[in-house]
Amino acid sequence: MIAVSVGMFWASASYARRPGNQHPSPFAALPVFFNPRPIGVRELSARALRSIARGGRPAVAAQLSLARLGGAALPYVLPALDSLDPHSRERVALALTPVAVRMEVASAEELADGAQAVLFWTRFWQDRAIDFRAASVRHLTGRLAERSIALRREDLIHVDTFALQALIDDLGQVDTQDDVARVQRLNSVLAQISDLPVSCPPNASVADARRVVDTWRDFWDLHGSEYSALDGPRRLAATFVETQYGKWLAAVLRGGLGRTQTGERALDLVSQGLATTSFLLFVGLGGGFPLGVAWTRFERQRLKFATRVASTIAGTALAAIPCATFVRLFAGPSAGLLSAICLVTITTAAWVSRHLARSTMSQSVSPIAAAFSVSAPLGATYPPFVLSAIVLVELLFRLPGLGRIAARSLASGDVNAWMAASLALASASLLLRHAADLIRPRATQSPSMRRG
Amino acid sequence: MNEPLPAKQRLALAAAAAAVLVLVATLLAPLSLELQAYARGLAFAVLAGLSIMAVAFLVALPLGALAASGPRAIDWALRFFCDLVGSLPTVFVAAVFWASTSSTPRFVCALGVLRGLEQAWLLRCEIVRLEAEDPESVPRGLGRTPLVAFLRRRMSAALGPLFVSASFSVAWLTALDAAVSQAGLRPPGALPTWGPLLGAPHPSPLPALLAAGSVAWLTVALHAVFRPPSAA
Repeated sequence: MIAVSVGMFWASASYARRPGNQHPSPFAALPVFFNPRPIGVRELSARALRSIARGGRPAVAAQLSLARLGGAALPYVLPALDSLDPHSRERVALALTPVAVRMEVASAEELADGAQAVLFWTRFWQDRAIDFRAASVRHLTGRLAERSIALRREDLIHVDTFALQALIDDLGQVDTQDDVARVQRLNSVLAQISDLPVSCPPNASVADARRVVDTWRDFWDLHGSEYSALDGPRRLAATFVETQYGKWLAAVLRGGLGRTQTGERALDLVSQGLATTSFLLFVGLGGGFPLGVAWTRFERQRLKFATRVASTIAGTALAAIPCATFVRLFAGPSAGLLSAICLVTITTAAWVSRHLARSTMSQSVSPIAAAFSVSAPLGATYPPFVLSAIVLVELLFRLPGLGRIAARSLASGDVNAWMAASLALASASLLLRHAADLIRPRATQSPSMRRG
Repeated sequence: MNEPLPAKQRLALAAAAAAVLVLVATLLAPLSLELQAYARGLAFAVLAGLSIMAVAFLVALPLGALAASGPRAIDWALRFFCDLVGSLPTVFVAAVFWASTSSTPRFVCALGVLRGLEQAWLLRCEIVRLEAEDPESVPRGLGRTPLVAFLRRRMSAALGPLFVSASFSVAWLTALDAAVSQAGLRPPGALPTWGPLLGAPHPSPLPALLAAGSVAWLTVALHAVFRPPSAA
């Protein structure tokens, strides 16, 4: 299943790379499976520092980038100030003014002059460097999560985005009103330090608070590496984690197979579609396979050439799936599940009968024995065929099945929904293939043994 | 009593089927835009269907034979790739191929390779089954039996399922095309084919009927052409 999930993901990523795609994934900028150079806050802040120090046009974008990185970049930017020439140092110090305002440690007027700004940041780092440690920030967020005290809130605002990860981690699970209150406290800090308009109102319900938590977790999935230092084993892990596949896997491991673009749990979406698709698959196969065997038996017993030819033509024509279009054409989309089941059953019967009629079994072998005998090759080629037929009938008759969900999510670039639906379909396909392999008659010696 | 048609008659039947379709398309094409779309789709279905069959045979024959009677690694690799590719409905694999390949010939070749993998597994299973049923063949395999003898005795007897699968190539292609169109996964600048005629939200009855009828007609013709002597 791991190999299959890799294949599915590759399919989704390849489809998303098509020219003129209107629905790119938020993770489209990341490599699909392997990231040889993961980028963290250290690299981003060093890049911004160099651009601002050089000045010119690129410095404008770098200033915005540095302001967004905020407190998380300070442990890398402030110690490097001394290595710059005086003019560059002033440019960098001035670029940090929006960060100081957001951290509520200085006003814009106080830092209007370059020399003043350099002096301020030098003193700030001498006094506050000790606060920019993961352990102390975790301690602060843990206490804010427990109780609301204004001073703790201010301390966290003073370290700005350096506290993002700890704050998001402490959002935790939301089940009770106490959890809602915790989310409200942490959300007010998060909204200020990230400049994002995410609100959790005083009368928020548990569902509202859960949505807020999901928003922050999505934010962290997308931008987390920009605020984290990727050192040592973390850098090694980031070569996999900071990929599109790694992000999907992280969402799956959080539970519910991730969330779809509409905010629904992908697992719930699959549960809804599974009933329709399973019903179509098992009723269609359960009815179609014996019908195909009976069809072959009927065809073999007919002595008249015309009857046999008519049966062959009917079987071949029915196995050609576009006849689903006819049914839709005449029956309309409201025809529903019954028409869909009939179509899948007839298609299966026609497909099986054509294979049985043309397999190398002699006339003396009964079609039932032949059916079991060819189950392995049929099992190999039939599941993708029948699942394609099911996708088509689900789309034509607007049935809420997995095939329809997979098709729509692939078209709209909803990776989590696509992966959940396609993995469920793949499980069904693999199950059919291996079941077909199990029921085939065994030789006294396996081919591999005979090969030595 | 169940004698297959002679080879010449089968080829004549297929040629007649194609000729009738081309004639119908030629006569109908000037009448309306929809019928022109049908005629263009017919050209694509015939050419692409034949190309898929050719590529599939090129892939399936050596790969299936080697997987059945050659090194075990090939058998394992074929099974793995068939499991991988076959785990997804073919319509999605086709949609991905179509979106990621820049040209129609490459898309058709990719479909041919996909079809070839399926057919290679069919061939492998049939050869293994025949060997299991024939006690005299126990020590035989590629590398032990002379190649010519292997090809004449085993391969010729094992081609039945491959031919059945091949005869559905045009139907398979059109069904995929219709499903891809219906799912909204068709590339915007793709060649005019029967997919939009059959998979459109509100298909026009006449061209859709003609297209689906032509698919059935071509499939029956291919089925007759590929009728192996052993099916008698």
